[in-house]
Amino acid sequence: MHPIIRLVNRNITISINPGFLLWQVIFPLIYIFVAGFAYTSLIDNVSFGNKSLTYPAFLASGMIGFNIMNSTLVSGIIIWNDRRHGMFEQIMSGPFTRSHYIISNIVTIAIVGLISAGLITAVGYPVFFESVEFTLITIPLIIFCSIIGAILFGSIASIISTRIRSSEGFNVIINTAFLFFAFVSTAFYPASGAPQPLATIFYLNPLTYLVDIIRAGIFGTITEFVILEMAVLVILASILFIIATKLLTKLDF
Amino acid sequence: MMNMSSIEVHSLSKSYNSILAVDGIDLNVKSGQVFGFLGPNGAGKSTLIKLLTTLIQPNNGKISILGINAIKQPLSVRKKIGVVLQQPSYEPTLTVEKSLEKYGMMWNVDKKIRKKRMEELLASFELTTIRKKRNEDLSIGQRRRVQVAREFMHDMDLLFLDEPTVGLDPSARRKLLDFLKNKVKETGLTIFYTTHVLTEAEYLCDNIAIINNGKIITVNSPNELKRTFGKEKTIKIHVTSTIEELKKLLQEIPDCDIEQDGGIIITIHSTNSEIVLMNVLKILNQNNISIEDLSAVPTNLEEIFLKVVSDSNASNN
Repeated sequence: MHPIIRLVNRNITISINPGFLLWQVIFPLIYIFVAGFAYTSLIDNVSFGNKSLTYPAFLASGMIGFNIMNSTLVSGIIIWNDRRHGMFEQIMSGPFTRSHYIISNIVTIAIVGLISAGLITAVGYPVFFESVEFTLITIPLIIFCSIIGAILFGSIASIISTRIRSSEGFNVIINTAFLFFAFVSTAFYPASGAPQPLATIFYLNPLTYLVDIIRAGIFGTITEFVILEMAVLVILASILFIIATKLLTKLDF
Repeated sequence: MMNMSSIEVHSLSKSYNSILAVDGIDLNVKSGQVFGFLGPNGAGKSTLIKLLTTLIQPNNGKISILGINAIKQPLSVRKKIGVVLQQPSYEPTLTVEKSLEKYGMMWNVDKKIRKKRMEELLASFELTTIRKKRNEDLSIGQRRRVQVAREFMHDMDLLFLDEPTVGLDPSARRKLLDFLKNKVKETGLTIFYTTHVLTEAEYLCDNIAIINNGKIITVNSPNELKRTFGKEKTIKIHVTSTIEELKKLLQEIPDCDIEQDGGIIITIHSTNSEIVLMNVLKILNQNNISIEDLSAVPTNLEEIFLKVVSDSNASNN
């Protein structure tokens, strides 16, 4: 078995527990079915491309991107825990390289992200099935988002975990960062309804691009702007991945 | 096997900023032995282990581990060695048995062999009763036993143990030492062992190196170290009374260092202890001072260690 597969196996064993899985499903469910229907009276139909979506359908598709991002917390937690409990040093003194370690983390969160995206798609399907337009690229787009989202947000979580040693500091920074990404994005509400400065900030947030691409895949509204968003995400994810790799490589024992 | 070298190090140096942690070390560890590595805190033991296990790169020098250039091919080295580092390493949420099983998997050990080894190690390290406990719920000693046991889940030719008995009770410590002795005997494994407990080194090690201030001061077998550095004997005499001029009279005896504690305990350090003792007894007799108790302290590794390190510090100053 390849070293990366062995490390992925280990990562999944240590990070996936019933609590985490429940949180990954229950939290989006509450949003989709409670917030989604509760806010329908406040947020009317949302226009997306040439379509008009119900708010629950808009929210459910946004939750897929949100969940992909949330899954990447696993990466930061694995690295931070490994450093705290001596496993990083132990693994690095074994039959692995730092590249194996970094890639295995990315693969782990891509798998968790994909499963998570699949779960939310299945759970959210009843609320957006009327607007769904499955095309040949729907599934590849969701897979693209899971992978690129895993690399992008996983790299951010990795960067934070390499810089922060205290558990309080790690939790505060990672939660603040991910809260910003979640709520200053189009995952929960459309940019069109927000004040102009906030709407501008939405488009400085990679999660906005991620959910735009997912929605484009699900509702069949792929435009040139979506392709541009994909390109931006690839470039951003590559830069952050290089930074995260450099920082992990420089981690001292 | 015995004549081959598992570790060969030449002119090895490592500095952190301006501090020289390892200073031009030369070392040769033959295969199939337990090699003890002793030194005071901050002497450079852990830095050397990190260099030998390829965790860090040296500033200068050459390292050959099991015949492989460790600087150019670190991964090839790591595939053949086992490492138990000084600090604890564990996955908090895994149970004891899952820790062993997953560690074996990480080393690509076949599933059937993993299961067999896991059961053997759980029994050998007396972990059977706590096999379902999570690592985060274990005591420090139990966690240390899991950490050491885990390393034996995979095959290796050379094992680095950095103070493996820290946190273990005397019984667990002795069992671990016996387990290691048997492993060396049965498999020809080479062990590089650092410790602060000198009786452990004396019990376990075939050869011992003493390091201080990043330099190896001496390398030899425990017995040879005793022969070389243990010529000086320590004799303690308890006397019933004393007189004022006794201290002056004792200090006139050549070839020795005599201390008088509270006037009634005389401690003699000398390489010529028999002659010195006769002179002391003569002085005591001439002054009508009777002896209550007389004892000779046997030379042990601890005294040798302290002497070697203190001589090294003195020469550095």
